[in-house]
Amino acid sequence: MTSYLARRAAQAIVVVIGVMIVTFILIHLVPGSAARAALGVHATSTRIAIFNTTYGLDKPVYIQFADYVGQLFRGNFGISYTLQQPVSTLITQRLPGDILLLGVSTVLAVAIAIPLGIYQAVKRNRLSDQLLDGVSFTLYTMPDFFVAFLLIALFAVQLHVFPPEAPQASNLGGMLADPGALVLPIATLTVSNLAGFSRYMRAAAIDVLAEDFLRTARAKGLPERLVLARHVLRNSILPIVTLIGLTFPNIVAGAVIVETVFSYQGMGLLFFQAATSHDYPVLLGTTLIIGAATVVGNLGADVAYGILDPRIRHGNA
Amino acid sequence: MATRELIEAPGAGGQPEDQRGPGNSAFRAWAANRRAQAGAGIIVALAAFCFLGPLFYHTNQVTVNLNAATLPPGAGHPLGTDGDGYDVLGRLMVGGQSSLELGFAVAAATTVIGTLYGAIAGWAGGIVDMVMMRVIDTFLALPMLVLLLILVTIFTPSLLMIILLLTALSWLGTARLVRGQILTIRTREYVQAAKTLGGGQWWVMRRHLVPNALSVIVVSATFTIADAILMLSVLSFLGLGLPPPAADWGSMLTDGLNYLFDGYWWMVYPPAIVLIITLIAFNLIGESLRDSLDVRLR
Amino acid sequence: MRTSRRLAVTAAKAGVKARTTARAAAAIAATAVVAVGIAACSGSGGSSAIGSGNGTAATGQKIQGGTVTVAWPDGSAPNLIFPLPPATNTNGYDLNFTQMMWPYLVAEGDGGQSAIDPKESLYSSLAWSNGDQTVTIKLKPWKWSDGVSITSRDFTFVYNLLKANVPNWIGYTQGLFPDDVKSVQTPNSATIVLNLTRSYNPDFYAENVLSQIPLLPQHAWDKTSVTGKVGNDDETTAGAKAVWNFLQKEGGDMSTFTTNPLWKVVDGPFTLASFNSDGNYTYVPNKNFSGTVPAMSKVVNEQFTSDTSELDALRAGSTLTVGQLPQNDVSQIAILKSEGYDVVNQPIPGVAGTLLNFYNAQTGPLVRQLYIRQAMEDVTDRPQIVSKIYDGYADPGNGPVPTTAFSQWSSPLEKSGGPYPYDPAKAVSLLKAHGWKVTPGGTSTCQSPGTGATECGAGITKGEQLSFQLLYSAGTTTNDEMEAAIQSSSEQAGIKLSLKSEPFSTLASTLGQCTASSHPASTCGWQLVDYGYDPYSLYPTGNSIFNTDGVNNLGGYSSPEEDTLINETEYGSSAKTFDQYEDYTAEQLPWLWVPLPSTIQVYKSNLGGFAPLNPFSGGINPEDWYFTK
Repeated sequence: MTSYLARRAAQAIVVVIGVMIVTFILIHLVPGSAARAALGVHATSTRIAIFNTTYGLDKPVYIQFADYVGQLFRGNFGISYTLQQPVSTLITQRLPGDILLLGVSTVLAVAIAIPLGIYQAVKRNRLSDQLLDGVSFTLYTMPDFFVAFLLIALFAVQLHVFPPEAPQASNLGGMLADPGALVLPIATLTVSNLAGFSRYMRAAAIDVLAEDFLRTARAKGLPERLVLARHVLRNSILPIVTLIGLTFPNIVAGAVIVETVFSYQGMGLLFFQAATSHDYPVLLGTTLIIGAATVVGNLGADVAYGILDPRIRHGNA
Repeated sequence: MATRELIEAPGAGGQPEDQRGPGNSAFRAWAANRRAQAGAGIIVALAAFCFLGPLFYHTNQVTVNLNAATLPPGAGHPLGTDGDGYDVLGRLMVGGQSSLELGFAVAAATTVIGTLYGAIAGWAGGIVDMVMMRVIDTFLALPMLVLLLILVTIFTPSLLMIILLLTALSWLGTARLVRGQILTIRTREYVQAAKTLGGGQWWVMRRHLVPNALSVIVVSATFTIADAILMLSVLSFLGLGLPPPAADWGSMLTDGLNYLFDGYWWMVYPPAIVLIITLIAFNLIGESLRDSLDVRLR
Repeated sequence: MRTSRRLAVTAAKAGVKARTTARAAAAIAATAVVAVGIAACSGSGGSSAIGSGNGTAATGQKIQGGTVTVAWPDGSAPNLIFPLPPATNTNGYDLNFTQMMWPYLVAEGDGGQSAIDPKESLYSSLAWSNGDQTVTIKLKPWKWSDGVSITSRDFTFVYNLLKANVPNWIGYTQGLFPDDVKSVQTPNSATIVLNLTRSYNPDFYAENVLSQIPLLPQHAWDKTSVTGKVGNDDETTAGAKAVWNFLQKEGGDMSTFTTNPLWKVVDGPFTLASFNSDGNYTYVPNKNFSGTVPAMSKVVNEQFTSDTSELDALRAGSTLTVGQLPQNDVSQIAILKSEGYDVVNQPIPGVAGTLLNFYNAQTGPLVRQLYIRQAMEDVTDRPQIVSKIYDGYADPGNGPVPTTAFSQWSSPLEKSGGPYPYDPAKAVSLLKAHGWKVTPGGTSTCQSPGTGATECGAGITKGEQLSFQLLYSAGTTTNDEMEAAIQSSSEQAGIKLSLKSEPFSTLASTLGQCTASSHPASTCGWQLVDYGYDPYSLYPTGNSIFNTDGVNNLGGYSSPEEDTLINETEYGSSAKTFDQYEDYTAEQLPWLWVPLPSTIQVYKSNLGGFAPLNPFSGGINPEDWYFTK
């Protein structure tokens, strides 16, 4: 097992390096100059020249890459062109917000999905299952931004219960100080995730419910409630863990759509704004973090897979 | 997308099926599935609406008519008009053409590329497999948005360009899925048995691997259609969709949402409903396919 | 072309929902400007009011105190508190931010008038002598917030800093301040004498140069480290560089904006009470302000990252006192009025257009033909765009001077609708007369290439299509609709426009100046582009926009007669010369004129002093506001 882990870890590092190189190349493939993008249409050539010199953009690409990597090893992610703040500061500012947003919505989604899925599995094909299935199906296919707008239209515009914009504070404390504004963004993500999770949970629980060992438990006289709680739950939870592992990168990547709609100051919005404004340092920094998180998440999921299916573990992975 | 893989992985729930021979009975079983009927029915109706509809209901979807902008449903415009004066009902039809064409094109291309790649990786195994998978991991680790934004600014978006873009992003998932399936099947007893009995590689592939992997491929392709249509609407929302005067449901929805506060519901709900129904239909078909095909593998 | 400080926005701040028309001048682009000489722009405010909008001043008794909350658009979060940003600064809002605390020597915009504001300026008199080569500036006997008097030493401090550190200053124009200063004398603490290298038009120098210069507290800032002592470091070049670097560094540390003792020494009406790095900050009045201390007790500046959230905050009847209404939500005005808001239309003092690249490899030869430009303008129904898309809240775009914002500078030709009213038939006949086969709904093609009077023109080949790519800035619904309308109506003459919308910074990154001598493919691949508008200052000269090699003349339009007319408007004094320039430019179409949407300001009806609006400050003059009972 450890040799498997070691192998996968080594590969993970290679992938992260690959991500960095590919992003760097892609960014520099884009036509147009970062100086003009940052300074605007009326920038004089003097300003553009100063900008390029200040940020090393007049050097050849491979030297820029080497410089960047060198800086990385010193823990320096560079300075944002448009926000004029160190990238590391920006990331540390925004990350807690995303952990809050995605952490809470994932936990809520899982917490609701598990009992819901088991309930649906037990009442399989009955009316309640069909109804819930229909609802979850609809929510599952709805685009995120539409769910967001529906919630805004109802709760913010019509009922004026919650504000349509997320808290604009720059730190976690400030955000938590305005919980009303957190409700809609978290609700949107919870609803989106919930649909998928509950469908998965339902399928997994159905599988487990068909297993023989349950019949034994029941024959032994175990009340149904305990059968569900002790055996079904425990056995169908493992795959959910894998699922969570795979959604882990989202905590770092943020949810771009939801953040855009609610102006939630998270990594997703930062990343999107950097991508549309040629803000190379921010783009590289966030891509790196997201890439690393994805790799870690995948690694975790693979390890879980490996635990579940020994045949794959010792095969060619 | 990763979540989708897990949820749609073979063996995740389903209905008990008889264990008769492949192909024929599978199709019959699938056809008898109520979900399949509902899904297929919706798609057929939708295709008729989008491709045949305009033949009966003529509207001009190319010329802006500001004098008729943002009209509520009424005479001459059953679903009203949008901000440019286009008739909403007519635009739904024409927009659907792009969405459906895009969905099928992306799914076809993705399936071909992804299956080839995944099959080669899964069958070859060893270093080849490892390298091929790490390449996929690298691209999957890249935030999709980076690729999209970069590529969209380099190229002027057209339907073809967006099809290529979405294919470039979707084939990764298909390849992984197919490779996983091949791996699982390879180690199955009957394949081992076949090899022991002296069956050549190609024969084994043709007789066992491909038919069994096929079910996964078909299911995945169906979901890819839905995903592609969804991605198109997300791209429009982010401002990266088709340029005017091209119509598609996603940009109709996005444009309509700008008028949310003004109460112009006819610009928002019709495209949303049609979009969701389409996605549901494809998902229904995909799920029913998975239920009727994969269960037999267990 | 100098731009107004308060309007300064780097449009590069456009995110997803870019508001390129909001409250905005282009980035602080110091560009080569020569003299502007019109007597109207004098300290006595002789010119007539500029589009003060149709708001009504609040009636009722003025009360002291109160908290006013102002909404700012996406990307307006300041990140530098030192009032002299470096050349790499990309945030146009920094100057809006610092101007309230360290005002400029010359303040622009007096109420609704395009004139200098004498009560907010720091000088008490400007006297010219020596053939307009020497200017003697007398300062008002004002004090800094710590009680120390503002003196001429503060001016030389600024001068020394700039002299040692240009070109790395955002307001730098080669040849102007401080390059053009031969020597500075300070005969006493209230007087500064500048001996310039050449003679200038006094109004131009006051308005365009001195209005960029704040006074900085030498007695508090002239040091090179936090613990260092204040001295006269600025008097040596090395010392001035050290002071500059120190102040730039301190000025960028957002976490200390409110605590650093440096920034507490102000001479403006406000001082900073709180600051969040996400762009929300609060001013409180500077109790020791030597001018009129503001009536408001708190000015909260809140950033909204989208139109929708700002609109909803307004509709929810929240604490928001001043905000903007997005153009496509004009139907909300009635609801807002019922919730206690007033709405005022603020025309933007700028010129909007679709820029033409005269040196694009494919389409350059096409746009170089005047008749083709005329056809393209003829086929655009501007009045319909104004009334249907903008509900009337837009300037019709009849020529280089916006008639709604600068009615006193608008010629009769422009006021009557400009030389190109909507006439698609005329467009078709123009094209046909020059040998084109016109295909309405399709793409017209050239049938008679050549340079004769009835032929297509130089560089146009047989069968060449009349097809262009129009690049425009994404994110505003009404702008999208306008471009779609233009595309659609152009088809009547077979002019094919393929639209491509991009986020503003992406747009900006591929645009560069294209001239006859230099048009590299990397920045001159564009054919038509609409990025918003170019702002005007008090005097709407076409210099830098329409003159040959002008910095903002991205398309490379060049006409000797145009250059002559522009020069005459700047050295002459006859109003007729301006009309001549205006009409000629309107007819020559260096750009295709398009409507320019106004800003729709929304404010609580009990807010007095808000209207009439100063278009050069974006209407945001909290020092003038007060609540009424």
